[in-house]
Amino acid sequence: MSIEEGKPLIQVKGLGKAFGKTQVLKDISVDIHKGDVVFVVGPSGSGKSTFLRCLNRLEEPTEGNIYFEGVDILDKGTDIDRHRQKMGMVFQSFNLFPHMTILKNLTIAPMKLQKKSREEAEGAAMELLARVGLADRAEAYPSQLSGGQKQRIAIVRALCMKPDVMLFDEPTSALDPEMVGEVLNVMRDLARDKMTMVVVTHEMGFAREIATRVMFMDGGNFVEEAPPEEFFGNPKNDRLKSFLSKVL
Amino acid sequence: MRIAFRKGRNSFCVKGLLQPERGETKSIMWENFSEAIYLNFIKDDRWKYYTDGLKVTLIITLFAVLLGVVIGLVVGTIRATHERTHKLKFCNFLCGIYLTVIRGTPVVVQLMIIFYIILASARNKIPVAVLAFGINSGAYVAEIFRSGIMSIDNGQMEAGRSLGFNYIQTMWYVIMPQAFKNVLPALCNEFIALLKETSVSGYIALQDLTKAGDIVRSRTFNPFFPLLTVAAIYLVCVIVLTQGVKLLERRLRQSEH
Repeated sequence: MSIEEGKPLIQVKGLGKAFGKTQVLKDISVDIHKGDVVFVVGPSGSGKSTFLRCLNRLEEPTEGNIYFEGVDILDKGTDIDRHRQKMGMVFQSFNLFPHMTILKNLTIAPMKLQKKSREEAEGAAMELLARVGLADRAEAYPSQLSGGQKQRIAIVRALCMKPDVMLFDEPTSALDPEMVGEVLNVMRDLARDKMTMVVVTHEMGFAREIATRVMFMDGGNFVEEAPPEEFFGNPKNDRLKSFLSKVL
Repeated sequence: MRIAFRKGRNSFCVKGLLQPERGETKSIMWENFSEAIYLNFIKDDRWKYYTDGLKVTLIITLFAVLLGVVIGLVVGTIRATHERTHKLKFCNFLCGIYLTVIRGTPVVVQLMIIFYIILASARNKIPVAVLAFGINSGAYVAEIFRSGIMSIDNGQMEAGRSLGFNYIQTMWYVIMPQAFKNVLPALCNEFIALLKETSVSGYIALQDLTKAGDIVRSRTFNPFFPLLTVAAIYLVCVIVLTQGVKLLERRLRQSEH
């Protein structure tokens, strides 16, 4: 599906989410354009992850609209499964399928959902595996990999569906410090290739380095958003100032 | 055979009353034994009762297991889905009734209700037994599958859904294979129980393995050999089944080095 020039890839309008009586997200409106690398930062419990999970409806929003490639994906008549194929997601806990080899992890969705032949799917998977430096682990099982390797595989698994946007939910939070770098390298490559990305993270230095926009979430809404130099160099909001003084 | 013919059919009644000379003890025991073998297995082709009975038992068990697994898969999935998503309220309610009724009444009674009341006009008893034992086993298998599904981290479901698989596809490709592996020991238990439970088939006059032993006993007036034979055959079946499942378990564990 091609989108008109200038129209946002993802358009969020008045998004709200409540768990019972607790209002987690309040009236969020955001545009995400093709090629954007949007970093969402903020204190824990502020709703960052919930916001991200609403974008592909892993969390069901309670109000508002989300337009993805021009289609309202919150509409009851929308086939969300079809749109999710175009939205890759990477989880904090990797969530690789432990009963499948790495290659099977990577090829099952393209083969079953996009009706690709085994050769085609495996060819594409091996190419991506080589790019993240894990081609030799194709026949291994997830339990044989380190955390960093698992997360790189998880990114490749999402990429195998050729998504238009990648959603990252704290992709390095569950990793040992020495493994964070390898995952960030893969994400850095993606950003260089102009992949549209929405990243929830605590890696401020990384956000500063590759983000096109950084957004600060607090209390269920975005209270400041700016390009990284301005966001980190000249924060305006008081809560952001105090947050940055604690984490930087 | 020669010995058996000579001694006639009264030898067993005499056993214990006669006080044989020391040297004769061994030969009399042997004579009694071969006599018993003859009476319990060879005369009138009585071994056929056991083989035919075993065949009936295995057929009922096999198809009841298949039926039970299908029912259990559907009911277990519905129950787990309700638990996770709070959807399928009505289906879950029906499944709850099914589980309560089936697990709350004895399988013999269920078997007789199906044979004498629900399918009173049925001519072939084997399908009746398959139905009764399958429906019964399904309730237990359902709970096994439900616990298996619930044991899989929700992240697996989210990962599958985020790739674009729908709920059923994710269940089938991602959750079920893992859940199945986790519940295999419990399932094996259930199948062993089912195999042995079919021994009440005699209540609807089906000639299963147990009934076969019973028939032979009623002909020979000696319960010892028929009952031990039947018990031994069940034991062998269970051991074979257990070993088979062990083999399968080992194969499925390949992904956990």
